[in-house]
Amino acid sequence: MVGMPYDLLANPLGAVRLTFQKAVDSGHSGAATLDGRDWGAADLFRQFLFNDGGLSQVPILNAASVRTIPPNSLVRFRGMIQDMLGNEFYVGAYKDAGRWRTNKFTDVSQVPMDLSSDKRVWERRLLYCVPVPWLNSWTEPSSEVLLNRCASSTSPQTEKRQRDDDEIIDHMDTEVLDHAFQGSPPAKKMRGGHPSLSSHAHECMAEGTCSSTSMVPDFESSSLPCLVKIYDSAEDDLKLNDIFEFIGVLTFDPEATAADKGDSDELENRFCEEESVHLPPSKVPRLHCLEHRKLGVHDFLSIAPVVEPKPNQVKDIRETLLGHLTAVLGNDGLAAEFMLLHLLSKVHARVDTLAVGKLSLNLTCFNKENAYVFGNSLNLAVKNLLPITHSIPLSVDYLNTSTLAPRKDYETNRLMSGVLQLAEGSHLTIDETHIQAGTLTSVGVENTRLLKNLIELQKVEYDFKYYKMEMTTDVQLLVLSEGKSNIFPADIVLPLRPSSVGSTEMLDSEALKAWRWYLASLRSLPHTIEPQMQKVVEDDMVAARQANRTLGSQDFSRWLTMGRLMSVSFGETCLSLKHWQMVKELERLRMERLQ
Amino acid sequence: MKDIDFNRDKDLARDFLSNFADANGEPKYMKILYKDLDEEFLGRVTENTRRYIGIFADAIDELIPEPTEAFPDDDHDILMTQRSEEGTENTDGADPRQRMPPEIKRFYEVYIRASSKGRPSTIREVKATYIGQLVRISGIVTRCSDVKPLMQVAVYTCEECGFEIYQAKIQELAEHVPKGHIPRTMTVHCRGELTRKVAPGDVVELSGIFLPIPYTGFRAMRAGLVADTYFRIKGLHGIVNVRTVLYELKGDEEEQIARLAEEGDIYNKLAQSLAPEIFGHEDIKKALLLLLVGAPHRKLKDGMKIRGDLHICLMGDPGVAKSQLLKHIINVAPRGVYTTGKGSSGVGLTAAVQKDPVTNEMVLEGGALVLADMGICAIDEFDKMDESDRTSIHEVMEQQTVGIAKAGITTSLNARTAVLAVANPACGRYDLRRTPAENINLPPALLSRFDILWLILDRADMDSDLEMARHVVYVHQNTESPSLGFTPLEPSVLRAYISAARKLSPSIPKELEEYIASAYSGIRQDEAKSNSPHSYTTVRTLLSILRISAALARLRFSDTVAQSDVDEVLRLMQMSKFSLYSEDRQRSGLDAISDIYSILRGEAARTNKMDVSCAHALNWISRKKTEMELKAVARSPQSGSDTLLGCLRKMGKFTPEKHGTFVFHGIEELLDEGCADKNILSDCLTWMCSGHGYSEAQLKERLEEYAALNVWQIHPNTFDIRFIDA
Repeated sequence: MVGMPYDLLANPLGAVRLTFQKAVDSGHSGAATLDGRDWGAADLFRQFLFNDGGLSQVPILNAASVRTIPPNSLVRFRGMIQDMLGNEFYVGAYKDAGRWRTNKFTDVSQVPMDLSSDKRVWERRLLYCVPVPWLNSWTEPSSEVLLNRCASSTSPQTEKRQRDDDEIIDHMDTEVLDHAFQGSPPAKKMRGGHPSLSSHAHECMAEGTCSSTSMVPDFESSSLPCLVKIYDSAEDDLKLNDIFEFIGVLTFDPEATAADKGDSDELENRFCEEESVHLPPSKVPRLHCLEHRKLGVHDFLSIAPVVEPKPNQVKDIRETLLGHLTAVLGNDGLAAEFMLLHLLSKVHARVDTLAVGKLSLNLTCFNKENAYVFGNSLNLAVKNLLPITHSIPLSVDYLNTSTLAPRKDYETNRLMSGVLQLAEGSHLTIDETHIQAGTLTSVGVENTRLLKNLIELQKVEYDFKYYKMEMTTDVQLLVLSEGKSNIFPADIVLPLRPSSVGSTEMLDSEALKAWRWYLASLRSLPHTIEPQMQKVVEDDMVAARQANRTLGSQDFSRWLTMGRLMSVSFGETCLSLKHWQMVKELERLRMERLQ
Repeated sequence: MKDIDFNRDKDLARDFLSNFADANGEPKYMKILYKDLDEEFLGRVTENTRRYIGIFADAIDELIPEPTEAFPDDDHDILMTQRSEEGTENTDGADPRQRMPPEIKRFYEVYIRASSKGRPSTIREVKATYIGQLVRISGIVTRCSDVKPLMQVAVYTCEECGFEIYQAKIQELAEHVPKGHIPRTMTVHCRGELTRKVAPGDVVELSGIFLPIPYTGFRAMRAGLVADTYFRIKGLHGIVNVRTVLYELKGDEEEQIARLAEEGDIYNKLAQSLAPEIFGHEDIKKALLLLLVGAPHRKLKDGMKIRGDLHICLMGDPGVAKSQLLKHIINVAPRGVYTTGKGSSGVGLTAAVQKDPVTNEMVLEGGALVLADMGICAIDEFDKMDESDRTSIHEVMEQQTVGIAKAGITTSLNARTAVLAVANPACGRYDLRRTPAENINLPPALLSRFDILWLILDRADMDSDLEMARHVVYVHQNTESPSLGFTPLEPSVLRAYISAARKLSPSIPKELEEYIASAYSGIRQDEAKSNSPHSYTTVRTLLSILRISAALARLRFSDTVAQSDVDEVLRLMQMSKFSLYSEDRQRSGLDAISDIYSILRGEAARTNKMDVSCAHALNWISRKKTEMELKAVARSPQSGSDTLLGCLRKMGKFTPEKHGTFVFHGIEELLDEGCADKNILSDCLTWMCSGHGYSEAQLKERLEEYAALNVWQIHPNTFDIRFIDA
């Protein structure tokens, strides 16, 4: 960091102010020209983070590290956008004793503001982000490493910090952290922090609902939500349920809470929904975003292989993975093949109502005895292979009581998360084997409809009370059932024919890493069908339809998806005759089983 | 920043106020606003509205004469008198803060409404730059507060002078939210007259000023940089609960429509643009377009009403995009309600009397048909309608009212709606050998109320299969729908055009009356001649002809119906019949299998025998088929001498397989007719199993397919067939 007047890691705001002064001084019309645009601060950070390798030095914000990271320093937060709170207007620039100052990327002004002075009102967007739901623990870098890293990076810089920064840290250390983060696990604390939310949760509890009705589902890992403030970014960049890495300034203003509480009875607060009331800064840290980047599934492989495997290795990985899946599925090779295609599936595009690329799988013939064995080992296997996985043990009671769709709560003006608010690329297993005959209530019927829509259209309806809004999703869906699931029409229905009882093989961690890499990277490979091959495919389809009138465009679409996944599974980007024939053979074998 | 002379503007405001009404007392707002007042002034008012409200109020104060007489019983006046007395005592000092604020004396409220021209902004579009400006927005009300007093002016000597304030929360309309985003909300404040005007669930269009709320006290110190904003309503443009009935043409749309009308061929162009992503079905789309346009309602002198709305029923196999067509039509319709026969709520299709959960009062709640009054009601799964709805829908379709006699409420609701119904065949798939009435589980009396019935079939021909395969491959390859070969009109343009066309009320000229009458009697004659009258040509048909031709005239923006309109109607009706009746389809040479069916049936009828021997039938078919194939080749426009030769050669030697296919279909038909007995069947079975194309397994499969449709039962071992009487 030679040549930098300010330490970008420990005092990013210094750099922000410096660049602001430069920009104001160079222009003639004051801060007005800087309305709604960047003055070079973002460029500076971009350069530092991505070109100078600064990114790895930025500590990751999570429940563990939030205690040790000083406020007003640079942090990064990985999370899913769970709710969008709208715009916030703030005094972006103001004149203090004839000098323009800025409040961008901060919650508190540097020097007290004179309200009558010249000022510019700017806006920023508020996003409520939560850690990615159902993220498997193996994706997280071990927290110990992180803490060490963060401690070593902050300690030498303490001296350089400015006085006011120190003050805030003192506050932090003595007041906030102590009372906010002692004892109970973070997820619970967060719920306790929202008066209205917790009461809502209690209501649901009384009705026998599981805890997933709370704002954030219970994660295996600790969950720290974060309120991200976005500046000058195009609206379309950031969408609901996207996973992002936000890099920005962490602020933590303990006193604001007290002030707001005292104020909340006042006339102004009739709707009681300002984020400061429901998301007290002492519970939800603020991140003023300087830079954000979208993350995909592969970004969650903690240690990416140093060298990407070569094409011939892809084939080997495929072989071993297929072997593993075969073993898990009780030596059922055909089921393993379909499973592999299913795990590689991804919604590539939406054409009209069709989600191109999805391949939901319904494994049938689970009975009471083997459901336990295979169901569990399958769940475990999927969990080990994919970063974001969740399993729903379906029962009439579950359908009747759980909140699957996110719902807007107008009391708090927040979007209450539901089980189906899932990040792109999540895997969802619906275990239908536990279901008993019973009566569905209206909630149950609605939930069933939601799941059906998810499977068929890859869409979830969010309930905004006065209207519903369809949100697109990209979730791999696996249904386990005794007979063909009539409730949830999957793309592929395959009876499982195990010939041995589940496997107890020990997993080789190297192989596991390779498989994870394989599944995460190959699924986004591009794919084309050469004109010659197109002809073959079309002719095959017409012939098939002439022979069997029940085939429709859905079946054709499925075959093409399988064709794509088949070639992708070999690391190829172009459909070959061989792979197409493999698909047809798989379908033939499947049809045989279905009879 | 340019200095603005507020005093000068006040004079302008005063001038405006005293002169806006002309000598006759009629307001000439518009003229003054756009001519007399310079635009700069208008711009200043919209940009700094709050200030100008004050300026206008001051101007009014100066203009209003002092009350000549005090009303002694008026509390307000008593207070006023007291105040003004106190006021005069204190006026020694020239300090303006000592003066009585003018707000107290006012008996009026000043509102400045935004111009209702142009599109209202969405909540998302209101940004920091809009602060202080006059904006018009639209949204849905989600929450409302109680009305609370607002202290506007505080005077030490006197208690506060209350105004009322009403807070509401509005949220973006679903159609304004970009994909993958959450609807934005905004707090709005209503004061004075505008309080209590809106309730949650209302779709509103408001104009007002977008203002920041200054934080005060301790909060200002802490959170001084964040400003809460709210929207101070200055005008309520409209509250709607459902889509607006009347479509207002916006901006350049009028011009666009005129251009379209001039370009000609509007009928085809508009029809093509309906559901452009659904391939083919040109005639159906034309019919649907006419449904959207409709004909004018007629009221006769004796009070009888003749409906102008067209009713259309689409039937067909599952998976032929019927429902998509339906939904698209609803999107395009200026007013449309989509529902299913089962109905999503307890209200159903027509209306229901329900107990209000809050007040316990009985309330009348309109169903989909009532909600779609003056619009289109699309009913999916028409055949699965509730029995109670089915009885009342007769009334809706002809009288266009819904009668209610429940729970002490006897009334009749208007349901002037065009019904677009979609029905699935009774046995899952449409069975061509049965009559439409058998295929659709609906009484003929109801069917006859539809102006047009249309059957969409999933036909087993190579070309359409290839088309489908190509489409799917294209979609997967290019991740988009194949280009349509034309640019469809935007739904908004369609909607505008249709709304404009609906305003016309074309009449039928004298000279056409004869023509229509003869066309009608012609259809009746044809039907009388036909030995299997399965269509119902009644007076309703005549009315349909008149209605549809009026709709066509409307599309041309013409006041009179032309003969070409009537011809097009007759053609459409003919096409709809072709789609329905296999006999007609054979005549038009559409389907080979139906051809064979009719050959066999014709043969059986001719010889007046119920039994047709297998060999005989085969003979017949091959002979007829030869003729027909020749005819087909001759008819097809691309046929050269090569194809003709090839065709002849092919016919010269039928492969056994080909024979098998024909005969098999023939037998199927015979079985359907109920004229085949076990002997024939076993004959055929042996014949076919002895190497004539069909394997036993295949035949079994086909037979079982029929068994599944509950046409007959099959004995598992002997293949004996027992017909099930419907």
